[in-house]
Amino acid sequence: MDFVNLLQRKFIDYSSSLHREGIVDDQFTQLRKLEDENSPHFVMEVASLFFEDCEKLINNMAIALEQKQGVDFKQIDECIHQLKGSSSSIGAMRVKNACIAFRSFSDGQNREGCLRCLQQLSHEYSLLKNKLQTLFRVSVASRCLYVCLVIFCRGNEHAEPFPDVLVFQLEKEIVAAGGSIPRVH
Amino acid sequence: MAPTLPSGDQSSDQDNWDNGRLARKRQLLTEIVLRNRLTALVVDGDTTCRVLEQLLLRSYGVQTQGVDNGRDAVTLIASGVKFNLIIIDMILPILNGLEKATRQIRDMGVHCKMLGVTACSGESERQAFLAAGVDVFIEKPLDPEHLVPILRELDGQ
Repeated sequence: MDFVNLLQRKFIDYSSSLHREGIVDDQFTQLRKLEDENSPHFVMEVASLFFEDCEKLINNMAIALEQKQGVDFKQIDECIHQLKGSSSSIGAMRVKNACIAFRSFSDGQNREGCLRCLQQLSHEYSLLKNKLQTLFRVSVASRCLYVCLVIFCRGNEHAEPFPDVLVFQLEKEIVAAGGSIPRVH
Repeated sequence: MAPTLPSGDQSSDQDNWDNGRLARKRQLLTEIVLRNRLTALVVDGDTTCRVLEQLLLRSYGVQTQGVDNGRDAVTLIASGVKFNLIIIDMILPILNGLEKATRQIRDMGVHCKMLGVTACSGESERQAFLAAGVDVFIEKPLDPEHLVPILRELDGQ
């Protein structure tokens, strides 16, 4: 169980670092509190939705800013607005702040400023995606390790028994996250 | 916003006490048990926002439906479906949330509570959204500290 505790400690420390660095804010913490046994990975699933939308919007803005016949700043503004809303809803603080800065250049119809902001926004998005995917991997890994230990202990008559309900739930979570359950014969 | 500790390696006992009281106050604000069955419609063109807002409402036991554009919201309400609460974004695809959808919903005689939840933060936008017919203007994200008092009111608590 020391390994599980260590991994869980790593998860907590990594999660705290995301807050200290301003990658995520309290909104993200609130969302994690909504996870329960019926939806243990919903934050990861919603984050995936956010990543898809974010990439689409950044791509759309890049294309709009490259138009030779003139930049459609209204379209840029709508993309920024949407991204500001979704990033604030998921607690992606630095992405949200990048959108706020971007908005001022879009309002001023400043193409060069918008290009710089788009670059900054892309950087913040990549950082967020990388960090959150790492966080989710550590979370799944600790659960997987826990179940492995449980299964091992079941094969060892001297080990303390684990509740079946808990094991079944953890196995479901691991499979739902794309993992597999090792079988000890 | 999470309470922040002052700079320095060690926080004082007073700081810890204040932070604890603040945390407890926030916890009390967000605890609620609904006595009645409440229903809500979430109108937001952004999938992330719509999913999160519906999930937050469901966590309090509110039955929710979601649509991603103004026209579908108006059509749904025109079909006779009733809601205790409508959460609507300002900028929507097809039928804009501000000038069109909100006004049309109110013009149909719908008097339920409407929350305008939007990424816009300007005072002029706030005034325009309130003038269009929303009861409350909330800058995203929709959070428990804004939502819970409204749910309490709707529940008659």
